[in-house]
Amino acid sequence: MNICLEYKKVKRTGFIQLFLCGAILAAVVPVVNMVFRTEMYTSIHNTPVQILLGANWQLMAMFNVLVIVTGTCLLYHIEYDNNSIQKLKSLPITESQVFLGKAALSVIMYMSVLVIEAGAVIFCSCHWFVTGDGFWKELCQNFIYSFIMGLPCIALSLLVSEACKNMWMSFGIGVVCVFTALILPEKPFFLSLFPFAMPFKMLAGTKHVINYIYASAAWIAVTSLAELLLIKIRRSFE
Amino acid sequence: MNFLSLLSVEYKKIKRSKIFLILFAAAFILWIPSIINSDLNFHMETEGISPENNFFIQGFMAMSWFMFPASIVVVTVLLNQTERADNGIIKMLSLPASTVKLSLAKFIVMLSLAAAQILILTGAYYASAAIVSVIQDYNFILPPLFVAKETGIIFLSALPMTAFFWMVSVCIQTPVFSVGTGMASIVPSVLLINTKAWFAYPMSYPLFVVSSEYGKLAANLETAQPELIPWLPVAVVITIICLIISCSCFGWAARR
Repeated sequence: MNICLEYKKVKRTGFIQLFLCGAILAAVVPVVNMVFRTEMYTSIHNTPVQILLGANWQLMAMFNVLVIVTGTCLLYHIEYDNNSIQKLKSLPITESQVFLGKAALSVIMYMSVLVIEAGAVIFCSCHWFVTGDGFWKELCQNFIYSFIMGLPCIALSLLVSEACKNMWMSFGIGVVCVFTALILPEKPFFLSLFPFAMPFKMLAGTKHVINYIYASAAWIAVTSLAELLLIKIRRSFE
Repeated sequence: MNFLSLLSVEYKKIKRSKIFLILFAAAFILWIPSIINSDLNFHMETEGISPENNFFIQGFMAMSWFMFPASIVVVTVLLNQTERADNGIIKMLSLPASTVKLSLAKFIVMLSLAAAQILILTGAYYASAAIVSVIQDYNFILPPLFVAKETGIIFLSALPMTAFFWMVSVCIQTPVFSVGTGMASIVPSVLLINTKAWFAYPMSYPLFVVSSEYGKLAANLETAQPELIPWLPVAVVITIICLIISCSCFGWAARR
């Protein structure tokens, strides 16, 4: 119910198109890379999914994170714009439900982005490589993992945009967080658990896969708690 | 209204915007990992670059690839949202000043914030270089003239990019698209600096300038050097076209 409402709100804001454009740009990356460097990649002895994601995932993830940051900023910007948040608060739904609705919408959009990117990987694999038996399983595992890694980033950037009244402030914080993720060193381990750095992780080549999944769940729990706290604290000041 | 008073009005508008928090945060975050991993600067034998040069150039490279262009996009959002909120743009357009001047005043504010970011970054560089010098017992501080020259070149190379971002934010009314276009245009710059057509893409200029300097400082590394002849005219033309478009389209949605 909430998702439908949220969808209606963002229908004409360019939110959907933003995610789709981001997904298409990210999907173009492996295709272009394969067109220009066919021999370099086809000569590597590895599975197609690992070659393609190894060569392109950093750039594709960058598009994903930027789309998430921009999209989530917009989701709350439309509420703060012209003070519609005050009318929203008078409705018979809690602010947490609104947050959940927005989060669910972002998650669905992120899922569609990953599906489009997976489509590009399938195309490249079929066109330039020979797909073996375990191809589909490996592809699904990789993208499900990427999906789980993206969730904390969505939750946190949505929380930031809920906390900041001005769009540029939430966007600025998001940009600084993405920048932090880009320059964070790989070691020590706890630094790589930064939510904005997690979408850059790939299943292949990651050592502590299960730990990252636990970390993702922990971040979602922490963000949900923080969201409840934020609403309580803010209400006491209003 | 003369241009100077328009400028001072623009500065007043963003006085309490806390934009400097973002700029400071970026500079702070940039140098922390460099300080923690400062010992890595002594293991650059393959590149043949001295530790102090490596410390300087790595920091500025990280900055010019993403954070510097992205913070200019953030500034465009700030400048636009201050006008869009409560229809401020309509009141602004009703002032006895030409839209060209209004648009240029905002562009100058953008440039000064870009310059402020570079200054903050340079200040943070000197602070962190001093800290690292103490930690590693080795002089990491480069002469101010050299640093001023490099940062000056980075700022100048960012002029066409700033004009481009301003044009995008003026022409595209939907905030999400103007921001999205800006952010999406930053990402390919890392690929484009390795091509011959880099000079046609203003977003890659700062990164190209820094990476070419890296090649100069590292004895064993060859990077492409900027050739002024196709670059300078193209950059000037791009800047002028972007400024003309942004000046003539400023507030077009409200003027319809």
